[in-house]
Amino acid sequence: MIRCGIIGYGFLGKKLAGYLTRYKMRGLAITALANSRGYLYYPKGFDSDNLPADITGHTSFRASNPLEILERGLVDLLVTLTPTNVYNGEPGLTYIREALKSGVDVVTADKGPLVVAFRELTSLADSMGVFLCYEATVGGGIPVFSLARHSLRGDRILSIKGILNGTTNYILSRMHFEGLPLDLALQEAQMMGLAERDPSLDLEGIDSACKIVILANALLGADRRLEDVKVKGITQVTSDAILAAKELGMTIKLVGSIEGGRLSVAPRLVRLNHPLCVHGSLNAIQFKMEILGDLTLIGRGAGESTVSALLSDIEWILAQKEASRGGR
Amino acid sequence: MRIRLTLGLTDRPGTLLKALEKIAMNGGNIISIVHNREQLTGGYVPVSLSVEFPSREHFERARAGIEEAGIPVLGTESLERRIETVIIIGSLSVDRLEKVFEGRGEIISLAFGGGSRSPHMRVMFSVNSEDRERVLEALEELAEKNNCVLVSEEA
Repeated sequence: MIRCGIIGYGFLGKKLAGYLTRYKMRGLAITALANSRGYLYYPKGFDSDNLPADITGHTSFRASNPLEILERGLVDLLVTLTPTNVYNGEPGLTYIREALKSGVDVVTADKGPLVVAFRELTSLADSMGVFLCYEATVGGGIPVFSLARHSLRGDRILSIKGILNGTTNYILSRMHFEGLPLDLALQEAQMMGLAERDPSLDLEGIDSACKIVILANALLGADRRLEDVKVKGITQVTSDAILAAKELGMTIKLVGSIEGGRLSVAPRLVRLNHPLCVHGSLNAIQFKMEILGDLTLIGRGAGESTVSALLSDIEWILAQKEASRGGR
Repeated sequence: MRIRLTLGLTDRPGTLLKALEKIAMNGGNIISIVHNREQLTGGYVPVSLSVEFPSREHFERARAGIEEAGIPVLGTESLERRIETVIIIGSLSVDRLEKVFEGRGEIISLAFGGGSRSPHMRVMFSVNSEDRERVLEALEELAEKNNCVLVSEEA
């Protein structure tokens, strides 16, 4: 039995736990569910009947540092789903670092730790002989890293561009189609649960910039930080300016790009028939390959679709472990 | 890509032919040749060629070949112009905008919108291909200095 722990039992954590208990992947069992205040440990492994709706109020909840699940050796694989902190990567950074040091494989959707300490964490994983998978950090459920590493590995990536933030794409789409001003489109996005109460990371382009940093480090062998990205958000974009673009058969999109060593996020004019011109909360990522040419992936970049990426990483790790044990 | 190449030829028979061979070997299609005999400078006769190359790499190889053959390349200039549009959100003086294009391109049309509350200008311009990046960088710098946002076109 592979014992899995999940730190972060919010929307994503609950969805993931639900799918994992239903799918029963290769003998994986969820034995620990944790949040910043403590954890719930169930050595037999939770199943769909006893999966709690809330862990803090549970009678077996142990109020403690969640790192205790590592110190006590209660899990073999840890999933971290903590709030985004792009400035110091915490608390996710410590959870991931300690897990790797303990020889525990990690699957994460946390951008912060990877933006702050990508090389440190990947080197640590290598030296400990464990896996660190982060498909869910960019493009939600779109298989960006696995596709690039497996299906594109014989070719060479020349540049990467993308619509990497669903919130701003939704807002700009509403401005384009309905002529809404930005503040109204933002309120609508907040009412629909697409934007945070504090939307500044999205609107100012920081969230997209984080994803650009992760893409550059993971796929182009770079060692970049957030401060290496030239960032301009959409706060000054007006519906009149979008109308002016529309008259030319274009619209304005927040585009992140890695091109010729330059990392940037900025509002750009995009032709309506351009592959990156996706609307609503969709994400799109375009690779320019030396042999293949342009390849564009489009998909839902947030919410439940992210669980697909988490499951893919978990399944991949389990398959690798099975193969190494000769149980193919 | 279309390039104007100015070569310095010595007044000896066969020198031009050597250069033309290097161009042909790299897929260059010669559009015109102007031989300025009366402008003899430093012992060279400047010869101006307009050539269509399949790509910049082909042009660079031809140029290297010409120089290796001992023929100096006195100058190169892109004859390709690009027409682009940008939207500048915010308020900016047209004089300052025009300065960006001096010697590198020209503004084809300017359209203003958004009124005084949320002004923007749509700028259509033509620019020498090789100056495109520099013009966009200068526009971005100008926009930032004036608290505006430059929205340029995604290729």
